[in-house]
Amino acid sequence: MRLGVIDYGASNIHSVARALQSLGSKVSIVDTPEKFKKIDKLVFPGQGSMGSCLNKLKETEMINPLLDAIKSKPFLGICLGLQILFNSSEESKEKGLGVINGCITKIKDINKENLKIPHMGWNNVKIEKKHELFSGIEDKQFFYFVHSFVAAKTEAFITTTNYGEDFVSSLATENIFATQFHPEKSGEIGLKFLENFINWKI
Amino acid sequence: MSLAVRIIPCLDVRGGRVVKGINFKDIVDAGDPAEAAKRYDAEGADEICMLDIDASFEERSTTIETVKSIASQVFIPFTVGGGIKSLKDIDMLLKSGADKVSINTSAILNPKLIEEASKEYGAQCIVLAIDAKKDGEIWNVYTHGGKNKTDLNAIEWAKKGQDLGAGEILMTSMDKDGTKSGFDNNLYMELSNNLSIPVIASGGAGELSHLVDAVKLGKADALLAASIFHYEEISIKKVKNALRDEGFEVRL
Repeated sequence: MRLGVIDYGASNIHSVARALQSLGSKVSIVDTPEKFKKIDKLVFPGQGSMGSCLNKLKETEMINPLLDAIKSKPFLGICLGLQILFNSSEESKEKGLGVINGCITKIKDINKENLKIPHMGWNNVKIEKKHELFSGIEDKQFFYFVHSFVAAKTEAFITTTNYGEDFVSSLATENIFATQFHPEKSGEIGLKFLENFINWKI
Repeated sequence: MSLAVRIIPCLDVRGGRVVKGINFKDIVDAGDPAEAAKRYDAEGADEICMLDIDASFEERSTTIETVKSIASQVFIPFTVGGGIKSLKDIDMLLKSGADKVSINTSAILNPKLIEEASKEYGAQCIVLAIDAKKDGEIWNVYTHGGKNKTDLNAIEWAKKGQDLGAGEILMTSMDKDGTKSGFDNNLYMELSNNLSIPVIASGGAGELSHLVDAVKLGKADALLAASIFHYEEISIKKVKNALRDEGFEVRL
């Protein structure tokens, strides 16, 4: 089994690749359309803004092969890799990939707690629905987050987290799983989650 | 629900080995950085910070090897500081496995570095480190590991750093560093009241109550310490338990 990690030239993919390798996985960097063919599972570790990410994917002609892979292979989107799946984002004029219905919005400080933005640090992940990727992981464990925008709502949610408001900290559809947190930076529990993805059968 | 207070052990590294200065002098050699980082991770550290003391161009390759070695074994956020002068330095450290870089003297000599680095890599990976010492009523900024005094007011400089795009402020009190007499809570309270980005408090941790007070009185978002963790005087778990008992969120 070969895991692909997408590199569109802006994201710090190395930490994700290192974490997967530490679990014994063979990792290929996917930075051209051709390389999508050689992989069995795909990880999209996004960082930065959605607009520049989409532009870089367009420049490297990876949008279409990415959409094909998202339809057919086990897919893990991390952080921006979750947000890009949606129709649109307040952060960017560019349309998202539109795989998940909804909009990404700026974190709202509903209770006026003088929240610091970005939401950066360790926060609780509440498991709302059972999923294989959370097997062996207890409810309300801490995962590491760094982001300013959130998916407030989608029926695909698996876990929620509270920061200013309840937001979707992970979601899933058939072969897609996406997290707002960074499993590759969430210590032992994050590694357990990634191991579950490596073993995930659809 | 709020964010957990972060406990960050700092590895002071020179020539690929862990050292710890007392008031920035009298350095004692004590260990392999990757082994120390792994131990801290297992003990519940929320992040790891590595400060390359006296980092020079000649020692860069050693630094890079150390960063790679830590990053391939420890999977929590990892900050690297010391001798960072350019975007190229930052790029190299991030590619080697650092998640954040901490910039001190170079930011004062060239404030644009913070601005450009923040635009290029995002505010979340730029930590502005400040060494401050109280002179009369105000805290002054010092550079070059605390050797040179500047005209900058530490609170004003932190605010400027935030405006330039720093994602966090790591403030070390030189009056307290190495004394084990407690954090300079007035400094951190003043900072927290003036900033909208997280404040990491450093310098002065000696007893459990000092760490709790830095959060309670100083309103620090994160606590950084080296020697108390390094010589196992106080465990990370004990600090977290004490914070939890005071009603603060911690990752246990």
